[in-house]
Amino acid sequence: MSSPSTEEAPWPVRTVARKISEWIDRLGAVWVEGQLAQVTARAGTGTAFLTLRDPVANVSLQLTAPMGLVSEQREVVAEGNRVIVHGKPSFFPGRGTLSIRVDRIRAVGLGELLARIERLRRLLAAEGLFDRARKRRLPFLPQRIGLITGRASAAEHDVVSNAQARWPAVEFRIENTATQGGLAVAQIVEALEILDRDPAVDVIVLARGGGSVEDLLPFSDETLCRAVAACRTPVVSAIGHEPDTPLVDHVADLRCSTPTEAGRRLVPDLAEETARIAGLRDRGRRALHGWVDREQRLIDSLRARPVLADPLRDMARRHEELERLRAATHAAVDRRIEREVREIGHLRARLTALGPAATLARGYAIVQRVTSDDVLPVLRSVAQVGAGDALRIRVGDGVVHAAVQDDPDA
Amino acid sequence: MPDTPVGELGYEQARDELVEVVRALETGGLGLDESVALWERGEALAKRCEEALAGARERVEKALSEAEE
Repeated sequence: MSSPSTEEAPWPVRTVARKISEWIDRLGAVWVEGQLAQVTARAGTGTAFLTLRDPVANVSLQLTAPMGLVSEQREVVAEGNRVIVHGKPSFFPGRGTLSIRVDRIRAVGLGELLARIERLRRLLAAEGLFDRARKRRLPFLPQRIGLITGRASAAEHDVVSNAQARWPAVEFRIENTATQGGLAVAQIVEALEILDRDPAVDVIVLARGGGSVEDLLPFSDETLCRAVAACRTPVVSAIGHEPDTPLVDHVADLRCSTPTEAGRRLVPDLAEETARIAGLRDRGRRALHGWVDREQRLIDSLRARPVLADPLRDMARRHEELERLRAATHAAVDRRIEREVREIGHLRARLTALGPAATLARGYAIVQRVTSDDVLPVLRSVAQVGAGDALRIRVGDGVVHAAVQDDPDA
Repeated sequence: MPDTPVGELGYEQARDELVEVVRALETGGLGLDESVALWERGEALAKRCEEALAGARERVEKALSEAEE
């Protein structure tokens, strides 16, 4: 029975099936948590078939449950719900399939989900993933916007149409993923990686409309939050929600309350920006005109000043003054000379009147005896001289010198 | 009576002395010898003054004609 199988002596199918069944049985009963991906419970059958999916990994298990158990908990056993089941993994030799025979099933309570999110929130906060310093600035005008959202969803329409209304040339790269349920996290994380690798994408938006806490669970998933934190491209969260905030809002670089708001925040308003630039340009132009006008007035007023308007006027004025002074000097010198001439003329006339000039002019002469004194005595008598004495004879126009001769008559 | 040679006197000195000479002759009371000597001195001073004035006038005219060129 336990002899190993060989090519010559292979085990029959029943043997292998029994061995697998024995192995699986050893696992015993387990508690499993997951998300119900598919529920097949037809009335009238004894067994319901369920598919339980891992919320993060692309892994699922088949469950079987007694119809009684399923029909007792219609609300819990529904597709998309998070559940905790108790059951025994079993191998069914008839079909060769593995499934868990469930004997207990219950929903993961809302309170429990919130408590888990809260624990994760504290953990991520302690790691610093929510720090303001980690937040990156969004580009003023993105080259290309990476958008992760549900296919043909209202969120996609809201983001795209609002961004286009503000900036018609806006470019999107859209990755459609599940935004709730078991596949959402894996698909969103993959989309994030794709968009983060695209060099043209300089901002990524996660957009989804509002929903229940359970619907929004992927956006509080640890794997997703870490993937967002690891992105090199700035990430915007735009999850319509209330009143609870998914954790991705804290990790994202910008949190928008709705996809509509994200559409507005992503791009500048073309009309508004155009108007602002026009306004600035207008102000600049006015300022420059004002400056030029002011300077022009200043130059004009300087130019109108007398020294610039008629640069020769001052010189002409000085020249005139100089001429006037020169003429005055000339006149003063002239007057002075004339006055002296007149005075000398008067003195001379008096001198002539007082002196013997008129008498001399008639032919008389003054004879003086030359002595060693300053004053030469005028000859009045022959007795005053003897032969050989020197005489000085003054006539009208000058002086003649003579000597006394012996008198032949004496 | 100072007897500085007339040629060494400035115009003002010559003129002032001429004024003195004329006043002395007008006042009278001098001997003939002195009067003749004084008169001759006066003639010389008058000539000196006339020459100085003629020189001054010539300098002014020369300066003006140079300035106008």
